[in-house]
Amino acid sequence: MISDFAALARHRGLVWALVKRHLALRYRGSALGFLWSFLNPLCLMAVYLVVFQYYMRFETEHNYAIFLFCGLLPWLWVTGALNEGTSSVVSSGHLITKSMFPAHILPTVAVLSNLMNFLFALPLLLLIIYLAGEPVHLSWLYVPGIIVLQTLLLLGLTWALAALNVRLRDVQHITANLLTMLFFLCPILYPHATVPEAWRFTLDWNPFAVLTMMYHAAILEGHAPLLSQVGFVTVVSLGALLIGSLVFDSYRETFAELL
Amino acid sequence: MATSRPSITYAIDLVDVSKAFKRKTIRGGYSTVKSSLVQLFRPRQPKRATYTQVLRDVTLRIPSGSSVGVIGRNGSGKSTLLKLITGIYRPDCGTVQVRGRVAALIELGAGFHPDFTGRENVYLAAAMYGLSKREIAERFDAIVEFAELAEVIDDPVRTYSSGMFMRLGFSLAIHTDPDVLLIDEVLAVGDAAFVAKCKDEVAKLRKAGKTLLLVTHDLEAVERWCDEVLWIHGGDVRERGEPRRVIDAYREFLERGEEQQLLTQERESQDAEPTGGIETATPCGTESQRWGSREVEITSVRLIDRGAEERRVFHPDDALDIEIAYAVREPVQDIVFGIGIQREDGLIVHGSNTDIEREPVPALGRSGVVRYTISRLGLLDGTYHLDAAVHRADGYPYDYHKNALTFAVRSAHPQVGVIVPPHRWEFIVAEADAA
Repeated sequence: MISDFAALARHRGLVWALVKRHLALRYRGSALGFLWSFLNPLCLMAVYLVVFQYYMRFETEHNYAIFLFCGLLPWLWVTGALNEGTSSVVSSGHLITKSMFPAHILPTVAVLSNLMNFLFALPLLLLIIYLAGEPVHLSWLYVPGIIVLQTLLLLGLTWALAALNVRLRDVQHITANLLTMLFFLCPILYPHATVPEAWRFTLDWNPFAVLTMMYHAAILEGHAPLLSQVGFVTVVSLGALLIGSLVFDSYRETFAELL
Repeated sequence: MATSRPSITYAIDLVDVSKAFKRKTIRGGYSTVKSSLVQLFRPRQPKRATYTQVLRDVTLRIPSGSSVGVIGRNGSGKSTLLKLITGIYRPDCGTVQVRGRVAALIELGAGFHPDFTGRENVYLAAAMYGLSKREIAERFDAIVEFAELAEVIDDPVRTYSSGMFMRLGFSLAIHTDPDVLLIDEVLAVGDAAFVAKCKDEVAKLRKAGKTLLLVTHDLEAVERWCDEVLWIHGGDVRERGEPRRVIDAYREFLERGEEQQLLTQERESQDAEPTGGIETATPCGTESQRWGSREVEITSVRLIDRGAEERRVFHPDDALDIEIAYAVREPVQDIVFGIGIQREDGLIVHGSNTDIEREPVPALGRSGVVRYTISRLGLLDGTYHLDAAVHRADGYPYDYHKNALTFAVRSAHPQVGVIVPPHRWEFIVAEADAA
């Protein structure tokens, strides 16, 4: 695991160049280009907003649109990273078979480029909060810490999934479907409080749900995330990293032959 | 003991390396959920995967600064060897060590993305080679200039021709300051002028003490550049050592293979050919064609070397006989025998008959052989078709056999043109240097 990070640090120039390429490619040839980083989440939010503000209602103590956006933005990072990361090694097969390419950079780039998208959209969220007259909290300063935890968790998961996907290409489809399921198991559309007591454990033991709650706490509620939540996500993230790097390392040598 | 001999450092050091691929992976059958589940429930079952041995106990130690060529037929394991050296594959057993920065010219421009401009791709690919941003910036102009792409460097590479694409890839690879250069059949990039430039550049790197590993079918380049040649056949090292000797052995091997192939093709086309009756000529390429009234019939055409062996591949200096066996079906008086040699592209290299040369044809009896003896073939590299005919002086055909057989000429020297006259070089120095 440590050697993986050392290798990433050594290749940071390459990682950064690939992240930039990833971002540039996404919007190359489109008229609105970079603006889609904001428009995509906004459009998605508009859909959910209509459905859940007017068709079915949740009682939230905050402006529902803002509550929704606050949970949706980090989630878009999760889906983007896991979907792209899982297929990253397979889809860049020519790099693995034709050159000496440090393979674990590929899923890492998927995580980081989606992180960049998240970071572009985050100021928009904070601006909307300010314009809507919701309070500006000092606890916003906790957000970078939450981002670090989420980055580690996603890195571990994408390493494992990308390696498994080389061997078994069903993994990318399974991942996509699990993510759809997981979306509804996170308190993004509904507040944590609306879930019946008996079912709360499905949120409390789901690292993505807990991450969502941490963002809610720091951005909307104005207090630090619960220490128990921070502890739980930290343990899960480090575990995921460890397992991810073990899985990736044990499969790495077979990539060139399987691709 | 004043000084001990300095120990040799090897730039590339492969010892007893073997590599096998699972058949399954070669067929591209990655496992499915079902097969994985099946395997899960039968863990003790011995796996029935079959292996294809690609390399067997190959040892290759290349001292720093020397050049080694690897030759062999397609599928003999050459590229696998390169991929083992670059670390793309891991050997099943044996050790692989490489010292210094490696530039692998395996697939030029493998990392290029079509939607990016040449400039962006150079920066990105150079980062993959491990160059820092500053190092890239310093070399950027030289890279573009060498590739001769200054005008289009800011266009997306999908608009490049394949030659331009490879030129950029080559230029980039040699500007990364490699200590070891691995070249897999990529010296054929772009037009003739650029190929010459590439070869110059490789020669320059060689002179600068870089280690060179050349995998190619260009035997001439191997002979010119390499200190040692490795001939791989079916995953084994078949021959190694001094270039001249190994290349000659390889050439001979290839010719024998080609000979077999030409003979088999001929047999197949003869089997397919309907016999008897007068056939009309159909105008089609190099297929054997035959027409005529058959008062005199050609029963066989053979190419014989001096050892009385039938052959299909010759050297320019070889002597050979064309033997035309005939059978006389009807008594006719006016008989002319002729032969013609055509190059693959239709150029008539030679044609003659007994009438042109005023060679009297004796009484032929019922059957016999006409022999056309060539004391020295004198043709250059190429594939040639032989016509044999027997006809009347006015051209009326008894039996005209176009493309009766196909033969090839392989020369050791890459001279140009069609023929090699018997020749030698001499130097007459008029005034000697003052000693």
